[in-house]
Amino acid sequence: MNEVGSIDTTSFQIGDLNIVFNHHTLIMIWIVIFVICITLYLLTRNMTKIPSRGQTVVEMLIDYFDQLAKESLGENHRRYLPFIVTIFLFVLVSNWIGIVPLMDEPTKDLNTPMGIGILVLFVTIYSGIRYNGFFGFVKEFFEPVWFLFPINVVGEIGKFISLIFRLFGNVFGGTVIVWVGFTMLLKTWWTGWVLLFLGPALYGFFGLFIGAIQAFVFTMLSMTYISIVKN
Amino acid sequence: MINIVDMLKEISISGDQIVRSAALLGAGIAMGVGAIGPGIGEGFAAGKACEGISKRPEESGLLTRTMLVGQAVSESTGIYSLVIALLLIFVVA
Repeated sequence: MNEVGSIDTTSFQIGDLNIVFNHHTLIMIWIVIFVICITLYLLTRNMTKIPSRGQTVVEMLIDYFDQLAKESLGENHRRYLPFIVTIFLFVLVSNWIGIVPLMDEPTKDLNTPMGIGILVLFVTIYSGIRYNGFFGFVKEFFEPVWFLFPINVVGEIGKFISLIFRLFGNVFGGTVIVWVGFTMLLKTWWTGWVLLFLGPALYGFFGLFIGAIQAFVFTMLSMTYISIVKN
Repeated sequence: MINIVDMLKEISISGDQIVRSAALLGAGIAMGVGAIGPGIGEGFAAGKACEGISKRPEESGLLTRTMLVGQAVSESTGIYSLVIALLLIFVVA
């Protein structure tokens, strides 16, 4: 990270369109996807009745989210379970991959949380239409009185904007604080020795701890939004 | 002998610099003031969760989970101020 807040982009022209790719974010997303796929494949390669160690970890994860989804989503919770666990794993590994040298979090770019948030928004609308019917879903927006429709729409979208910016703000704020600490401590030789002990602590707190909590919170809130629409 | 009025005339500040300094100052104020509310709110949530766990230790998992989600929701105002500060630093300044 040469300059804080900058994201590497590639742009090229097709006709009048100027297409910009955040290639660094895209590469990191693909790395995250491969890490998740290969790890889960290796852990559940030959499943047995008496689980091995790796299989136990995956089973505990799935069991935990199965229980959570059953509590908040009620019956038919298995329909949303794969989506929810996928969001959790993707956000978790995205937040954690920043502690590997030369790798940045994909969630540091606003576009990644926004993509996941829009996906959750669409799933919410889908489940609302599925459980209340189309007119029941639309009627919710006119609820107390009809002229509150714009406020209801803004409130519904605001939930997702706060969901997106919470993940982005936490991860990006963490990287900024780590960057500031490193640049300040590298100024002189004796603070460089402090960095030797403080650096892992900074990465441990902002990368591992905050990353795991934010991944869990993102998943829980997505689940809550889906369950609110259902009832 | 250097006249102080002449010295002040030497310093010329353009409008761009005023905008930049105001944006950076605003970012600092936004972050500092915006961090008060979430700090107090999250502290309240953690304190109440501690009380709840001391009353019913067997429900600690549920209480911790609910506390984390509630804290994350009450944190959003702080995150908004962070986003405003980032906008001021990277877009305006």
